[in-house]
Amino acid sequence: MDRFSRVLIVAGILCFVFAFVLSGLYPYMITDAKTPEASIAELAAVVPPVFKSLKDADPSGFVAAFPAAAGALSPLELLTETPDEAAVQAGEAAWRAVYAEALQRGRDNYIADGCWHCHSQYVRPVANEEQRFGPVLPAANDNNALQRPVLWGTRRVGPDLTHEGGLRSNDWHLAHFANPQGTSPDSVMPAYPWFLRTGFQVRRTIAPEVAEREGLDPATSYPVPGLYATQAEAQAALERVKAALPSSLAAEQSRLLVAPGTSFNGRGFSLVAYLQWLGTWTPPAARAAATGGEP
Amino acid sequence: MSSTSVPLHPAGDGGRDLPAEHAVSGALVEKALIRWHFLFAVGFLLTSMASGFLVSLNFIHAYPFPGIEWFSVNRLRLLHTNEVAFGFLVNALVGALYYAIPRLTGRRVCARWLGWVILVVWQALMVATSAGQVMGFTQGVEWGETPTGFRPGTFVLEYIPVDFLIELGAVLLAIQFLVPIARSLHKRMYVSLWYISAGLVWLILTYVMGNTLPEWTLAGSSGAATAGLYIHDLVGLFLTPLGWGLMYFFVPIILRQPVWSHALSVIGFWALAFFYPLNGVHHFLLSSIPMSVQYGAIISTMAVEIVVTTVIVNFFATMWGKGYALRSSLPIRWFYTGMVLYFITCLQCFFHTTLTLQAVIHFTDWVPGHAHLVMLGVFAFWLIGIITWLWPRITGHEWYSRRLNSWQYWLSMLGLMIMFVDLLAAGVVNGYMLRNLVPWMDMVRAMGPFWSVRTFAGGMILLGQMLWAFNLTMTMRGGRPYDYRSDLVLPDGADARGES
Repeated sequence: MDRFSRVLIVAGILCFVFAFVLSGLYPYMITDAKTPEASIAELAAVVPPVFKSLKDADPSGFVAAFPAAAGALSPLELLTETPDEAAVQAGEAAWRAVYAEALQRGRDNYIADGCWHCHSQYVRPVANEEQRFGPVLPAANDNNALQRPVLWGTRRVGPDLTHEGGLRSNDWHLAHFANPQGTSPDSVMPAYPWFLRTGFQVRRTIAPEVAEREGLDPATSYPVPGLYATQAEAQAALERVKAALPSSLAAEQSRLLVAPGTSFNGRGFSLVAYLQWLGTWTPPAARAAATGGEP
Repeated sequence: MSSTSVPLHPAGDGGRDLPAEHAVSGALVEKALIRWHFLFAVGFLLTSMASGFLVSLNFIHAYPFPGIEWFSVNRLRLLHTNEVAFGFLVNALVGALYYAIPRLTGRRVCARWLGWVILVVWQALMVATSAGQVMGFTQGVEWGETPTGFRPGTFVLEYIPVDFLIELGAVLLAIQFLVPIARSLHKRMYVSLWYISAGLVWLILTYVMGNTLPEWTLAGSSGAATAGLYIHDLVGLFLTPLGWGLMYFFVPIILRQPVWSHALSVIGFWALAFFYPLNGVHHFLLSSIPMSVQYGAIISTMAVEIVVTTVIVNFFATMWGKGYALRSSLPIRWFYTGMVLYFITCLQCFFHTTLTLQAVIHFTDWVPGHAHLVMLGVFAFWLIGIITWLWPRITGHEWYSRRLNSWQYWLSMLGLMIMFVDLLAAGVVNGYMLRNLVPWMDMVRAMGPFWSVRTFAGGMILLGQMLWAFNLTMTMRGGRPYDYRSDLVLPDGADARGES
């Protein structure tokens, strides 16, 4: 045996190669090799309202994070302004570019902060996982640029995120990143203040009759879109809101106030875009099959 | 003279007139390199365990640095895993190889200057890895999180390309140790050299595969298949062969007993070479990877257990009749504890790789429990044993305190046992709660007591290593000259210095 030692070292390398072919190359050949990997631009072809509404919640912050979003019309802007067809088309193209960038950056943050250590993206057809998390996805769904490197994960301290997109609102995610125990008592997830930007915002307290009818604290308030760096800027914004109120809502003027507030920063916007995207994309072949060949 | 028939060697050390297995000859072995590699290894062991301990505090709502980006829990977790694998294990393995290879081959390592280059470059890379990981430059591949330096999936360089440099370091390591093996004075290749030379070559291949393919070319399920292969190959084709290679070297020289069956050991080697790399996909069972590949991985995982049994049988047969060594020799106790835990680990694999158990225990704390048993209970225990045996020989000083070493053993061993059983139980409870659709937060709350026990056990282990580090430092700083006879393995009651 010793006479062949050099031959056998080659055999050792062959063992490695054999295993690679059998458990690396072979599964690739019979699954993903058949269709090209979907690029991020393909994944971002349809921009969902949940992403666009991030701009409505914090217009200046969103545009600061994604300069290309300046010309992209948010749902609120489409309602309040009257853009022409060309502006809407240009806005839609801008949205797609912004969305692609946000998905990419969001995925990068998901890796950098090790989200995948505690959250899987991997529903199995056992242990009632479909009931808890949603359908099992075929290999084709993961054959996309955002799953390279694959983010299936190996541990679930937090729930699976395969179908997280659209499950919760952007505001829930904002509150959750600021203080996970606030939305999920006893959660072991740490807070992520570096996804957030703090400042001042204009808030509107609920109407006293609503508070009484619903049994709520009369001091309950909800934010008017926009987050400002200083209290003075927020006060100026409050005056603008006041001035814009129609006379029929004059009673509301006294219910406006300035308070400290939180919004996402660039990283947070990207990460929430990525989370809201998860599970929303279907590969073209599966879409065609589901609609009987119609694209 | 003692009443036993154990042959004694002349007094003294340092390459005077000792049989080869006991003398450290300055000419053959690079003592300074061994010492530095061991020092860095222990340093990284402490930082790794400290970060692991901090992470565990998060799970009992007692994390001391919340809201600081560079102390984010999940980034510290990266330090925990990467520093123990590449900082502690690699440094300690390399240090041990600097001792074993020249003795097995009768040749010096390739070049002393190359050794210093590797030493310095490797530590710089480890610091760059840790710094990059807390700053957020990591890769999303388990055990392959060392920063590639490039923005994910692009060629835009945004950090030190650590991956590339580690690969270069792996090549240098192979040159350093394969040259003396190729020039060996002995005609027959001892089984240790089979394991070690194969492990060094496999490291190069494995590292390239795991740090390029899932990141650059293969997405989704095929990426997962390759990533699983990488996770497993790093343990199975690097740590395992080097670990067993060193065991086949150190156990016989400490016991002064040849390996029971050299033929069986070589069979064990080739069976490992064939079956181990086929296991990779078992990290992603019940997934969209083709079922044929998954079944293949399951069957070869079970085959590995049979291989492991032959190796274990060989080692226990080697110790046959010298069981007292477990009491009298701390290194032997570390080694054999590691072997028993290795057997348990692989036995665990045999069962939990089945789809039936996978359905329950995957995604739970069962898996970290298993991982700690392998990385700490097997490889770290072996290397701690090796360092414990070599340290007085390298420094020339008698231990500052042998009792502290014993404390380290019991704290680490009991700590690990508590942690292992605790995480296993947590995994089973968690797995059934997942299956039974228990509300998520109820499940997290149910894990609380288990996580508290884990932190306690982790504290025991960390404390043990701190005692050891203190002991190593004090020993290095001075003390009585070391007398190798104090480490001779003798039956109870016998004394090597004839003072029984």
